[in-house]
Amino acid sequence: MKKTLSMFLSLVLLVGVLSGCSGSQSANGSKGGKDIDLRIWSFTDELKKPIKKFEEKNGVKVELTIVPIADYPTKLKPVLESGVGAPDVFTGELAFIKQWVDAGYWEDLSKAPYDAEKLSDQYVPYVFDMGKDKDGKVRALSWQTTPGGVYYKRSIAKEVLGTDDPAEVGKMMSSMDSVFATAEKLKAKGYRMFPDEGAIRWFAQGDAPEPWVNDKNELQLTDRKVEFMDYAKEMKANGYTANAAEWSPSWFESMDKAVKVKENGKTVETNVFSYVLPTWGLHSVLKTNVKKSTGDWAVTSGPSPYFWGGSWLGVYSKSKNKELAYDFVKMMTQDKDFLKDWAKETGDVLSYLPVTDEIKGDFKDEFLGGQNNYQFFLDQAQNIKPGIVTKYDQQLDTLYGNAVKQYTDGKKSKDDAIKEFYMKAKNAYPDITVPNK
Amino acid sequence: MKNLNRYGYFFIAPFWLVFLVFSIYPVALTFYYSFTNYTGSGTAEVVGLANYTRLLTDSFFVQAFVNTLKIWGINFALQMGLALILAAIFSDMRLKMKGQSFFRAIFYLPNLITVSSVALLFGILLDWQHGSLNVVLMNLGLISDPINWLNEPATAQISVSLILTWMWFGHSFIVIMAGISGISTDYFEAALIDGANRWQTLVSITLPLLKPILLYIMITSLIGGLQLFDLPMLITDGIGSPDGSLNTMVLYLYNQAFKYNNYGYASAVAYGLFIITVIFSAIVFRSMYSSERKQARQV
Repeated sequence: MKKTLSMFLSLVLLVGVLSGCSGSQSANGSKGGKDIDLRIWSFTDELKKPIKKFEEKNGVKVELTIVPIADYPTKLKPVLESGVGAPDVFTGELAFIKQWVDAGYWEDLSKAPYDAEKLSDQYVPYVFDMGKDKDGKVRALSWQTTPGGVYYKRSIAKEVLGTDDPAEVGKMMSSMDSVFATAEKLKAKGYRMFPDEGAIRWFAQGDAPEPWVNDKNELQLTDRKVEFMDYAKEMKANGYTANAAEWSPSWFESMDKAVKVKENGKTVETNVFSYVLPTWGLHSVLKTNVKKSTGDWAVTSGPSPYFWGGSWLGVYSKSKNKELAYDFVKMMTQDKDFLKDWAKETGDVLSYLPVTDEIKGDFKDEFLGGQNNYQFFLDQAQNIKPGIVTKYDQQLDTLYGNAVKQYTDGKKSKDDAIKEFYMKAKNAYPDITVPNK
Repeated sequence: MKNLNRYGYFFIAPFWLVFLVFSIYPVALTFYYSFTNYTGSGTAEVVGLANYTRLLTDSFFVQAFVNTLKIWGINFALQMGLALILAAIFSDMRLKMKGQSFFRAIFYLPNLITVSSVALLFGILLDWQHGSLNVVLMNLGLISDPINWLNEPATAQISVSLILTWMWFGHSFIVIMAGISGISTDYFEAALIDGANRWQTLVSITLPLLKPILLYIMITSLIGGLQLFDLPMLITDGIGSPDGSLNTMVLYLYNQAFKYNNYGYASAVAYGLFIITVIFSAIVFRSMYSSERKQARQV
């Protein structure tokens, strides 16, 4: 009796321990794991509503696992590698999509029965291109496009530039030189063009963008990028910015009210004219932080088109339920009715042209004084060159941004800052060749 | 009788299973990966000692090591000083401080706040244009220009040290108080009768008898300090800016593994960190105990 009892007790303990090992599975089990037809992983909750619609439409049960973006790659990777507890569909963000399409985690959608290749002319080119692996096979698709623009305050534009029309204001910022001319005008009236010089980093490439790392695995710091360091320094030195670094408290504060800046040894109050942000910046940054100046904003183009962020999704290559999985991908990226509702509900700028063609005509946003930002962003998206994104981009951008800051802050000379950037790039990615400088 | 012994193993089995699966296995696997060029996906090639030779000549790692020691050192000196002073005040027989448990709770509170909240809080306080700290200092006339605390290597390191001090002095204080309450009051009463002043009591009675406790705090703080990661990670851009001054060893490890996907090299960094921790702990341990032995012989 005693024996059986102790055996039983240790078994109970063991089971408890073992079930702890496979957290996700036991969690599924408690929810009635056998009924779940499809498992989806993502880093935001934006798929919640589409999933509900998908469930209703197909009479299936879908389980969504949301992992915060900071942990997302580290949590998803081992699962995809081992195939244990893996999702059937998962999303990828711009920061790691290039690694993932090449790693083979996503099913090759170019082959039958998906034949996604045929869709190529129905998407914004750069978005479709991002989902392709190095052999040109489609691995992931996206429902959105995230080109950027310059959001500015209409009242200031009217006062200083004489117009608040986005097209006109856009012309006054069509090149780096005209940006500086406009900044000078703004400064003369006591305004600041940008929150800080980091805002113009998206225009560093000029109109001739090159990938950070070329096919021969060489780091390419183009002349234009080096030139950009001077632009950034000049921007700061001339006092065209309010010294409010991106995501800092003063950055958010200056969206809605005047902020204090130092000028010639004394403190003055000033308003920031514009912010360089992509599509999502409108909904998740400006709208959530601006109270007073709602309706006083507009969006226009900067010196060159750019994009920032975005989500892609695809079918897990080892999924046992690929058909249903692709059905979901199809709904998210190609279902006209669904996408139309989605765009109207969220304001998300879609990349599926058959739908965008239909809805872009009468889109408007009250926050932007009734401007049709949809049409604007789609035009911007068409100008983005595909094929310039590499898997190194996010980290190299950060490292380079750091080097630029060292230079603009006057802590390092241009050559030293570049030298250090090369060192850090080599340290992070030993397999790439950096110029021997 | 013989059989009964066997059941003990069943009872310790759960612990050992967990320990093997979650501690020994990852540690061993990391050791294996430290000899490979594993990138987190695909297969890993064995590259011999390449990662370790790289580690020995890696100026960024050396910088990270120095940074970690600096930040921990400043923090530890302040934290212990503050904790000891407070402990001396609170344990003083003549003062008989009231509201001890209240203060203990207050001092300990910062330790309960998650590091992300702390980073956010201090990010706002230290913001160089609108942060309360600069505003207060400028209104008091102590500085004429706002200081960009987190943008200068020296002030960034000191800021992190001070935040760590604020977070941990309450913890040290409580441990020291517990240590003091373990000392027999006879000693303090005898000192009181013999006319010892507060300083003499502290130096000749409290501190020597607290040695094991102080050693414990020192070693745990050292091990924790060498693993400093979250605050430097959160308070700036995550790669140790400005000028790499907040690049700690674990932050470097994290970036190598999870940002740059150099899992093989990151594993070697982890073992480097382990060896450094062992060496430092040994030094601290020996320096505190060998001196005691000498004293014992002299008496």
